[in-house]
Amino acid sequence: MKSPFRSLTPSAIYAKYRNDPGNMLVHTGVIGWILSSAAQIFAIAINDKISPKEKMFLIPQEMADAVVNCLSFYTFTSGVKFIGKKLTQTGKLRTAELTELLKERNLVLEKGAERVKDKVYAGDWNFNITKLDDYKSKIEDIYKPFNNGVEVITGLIGSVISSNLITPIFRNHYAAYKQKDLIKHADKKGIPVENTPNLPAQKVSFADYQKLIYSRPFNKSGNMKV
Amino acid sequence: MGRNMVSVNFISSIGNSFKSAYNHMPSVVVQKDKVLNKVAYIGRKWTSPQQRLIQGATAIFMQPYIDWHNKKVDEKTRKVSVARTCAKIIAGTTTGFFLRYGFIKGIKAFSRPFSQVPKDAKPFAKKMMTFLTPKNLDEKDLDGFQQYRNAMGTIWSLVAMVFTNFLIDAPFTKILTNKFISFQNKHEVKGDVK
Repeated sequence: MKSPFRSLTPSAIYAKYRNDPGNMLVHTGVIGWILSSAAQIFAIAINDKISPKEKMFLIPQEMADAVVNCLSFYTFTSGVKFIGKKLTQTGKLRTAELTELLKERNLVLEKGAERVKDKVYAGDWNFNITKLDDYKSKIEDIYKPFNNGVEVITGLIGSVISSNLITPIFRNHYAAYKQKDLIKHADKKGIPVENTPNLPAQKVSFADYQKLIYSRPFNKSGNMKV
Repeated sequence: MGRNMVSVNFISSIGNSFKSAYNHMPSVVVQKDKVLNKVAYIGRKWTSPQQRLIQGATAIFMQPYIDWHNKKVDEKTRKVSVARTCAKIIAGTTTGFFLRYGFIKGIKAFSRPFSQVPKDAKPFAKKMMTFLTPKNLDEKDLDGFQQYRNAMGTIWSLVAMVFTNFLIDAPFTKILTNKFISFQNKHEVKGDVK
C-alpha cells in the first residue's frame, strides 16, 4: 500500500503543482481554513471577557464557519476556477497570438463562415488546445502563462466570494439557530447565560460549554461535528 | 426503468443544449499587451501570500457588514460578533501572510537546481542546498520550478500554522477582540455607537 506521505515528497509536489498553481491555492486554502478555525474556537473558549450567551453564538458560529468555509471554498472556488480553465482550454478566451496560431491550423470559425458539420472549432465546448499535436512544441509557451494567470485570478475571485460572502451568511444563520437552542437547554439545566456586561465578565470554561452541549440527547440534535 | 430513461434523456438534452449555447457564444480575444502581461505576471508571481492578503482585505469590508446585519441575534451578540470577526481577520491575515511569504522565500535556500550548486561546496552544504529540490526537476521550466517552490513553501507554512495558530493567532485574536469590545463599550457610553 502506498504511504500517504509519498505524495508530500518534493518530486510528487513538483509533478502535481508545477503546471497547476490554481489548484495548489485551493488545496492549501482548505487546509489553512481548517487549522485557522480550530485555533479560533480555542480563542473564543479561552476568552473570559465573552459572556456565556455570546459564546453560545460564537462557538457554533466558528464551527459552522469552518464547515461551510471548507465546503464552499472547495466546491465554489474549484467551480469558478474550472470555468476559467475551460474558457482558456477551449480557446473561448484567448490571446491574439494564440488566435493567429489557431488560424494557421484552420481551427477558427471566421465571422459569417459556414460551420463544417462535426468539425470542432476553437471556442467549442469539446475543443482542447492542450490536445493539439504540436501543443508541446509550438503552443505551450504562449498558452501556459495566460492560462495560469486566468486560473489564479478566477481562483481568487471564487475564494473571495466563498469566504467573504457565502460562508458568513450561512454560518450566521446556523449559529443563530444554535444559540437559541443552547439557551433553551441552558435555562433547563440552570446554567447562567444572561447578558452580563462584557467588562468584567463571568468566567465560563470550554469544559462548561462542552458539558452543556453533551447534556443534550444526541438523537434530538443536529449537532455539527468538526 | 422507463422513468429513469426519461430523466437520463432529459439531462443529456440539457447538457447538449448547454454545449450548443457555449459553442455559439462569441470568443473573446485579449489584444492589449498590458493586460496580457499583467495576467501572465499574476499567474507567475501571485501565490498563497497574495491570496491570503486579498482575502483579508476584502473580508474586512464584507464580513463585519454581514455580521452587523444579522438580525437573527440580539444587538449585543452582534457587536461581539463584529468585534471578533474584525479581530480574526486582522490576526489571521497578518500571521497567514507573513508565514506563507517567509516560508516561500526560505524554501529557495533548500531547493537549488542541481546545476547551480557550487562544485566546491562541502557535502553537507550540498545536501542542504538541494534538500527540497525535486529529483524529477526539469531545469528548463523555470516557471514550473517557481510554482513548485510556492507550493512547497505554502505546505511548510501550513505545518507551522498548526502551532502558530494556537500560539499567535488565537491569543492575538483574543486581545484584539477585547480591545474592540472595550472600544465599543466606551463609545456606547458616550453615545457615539448606535
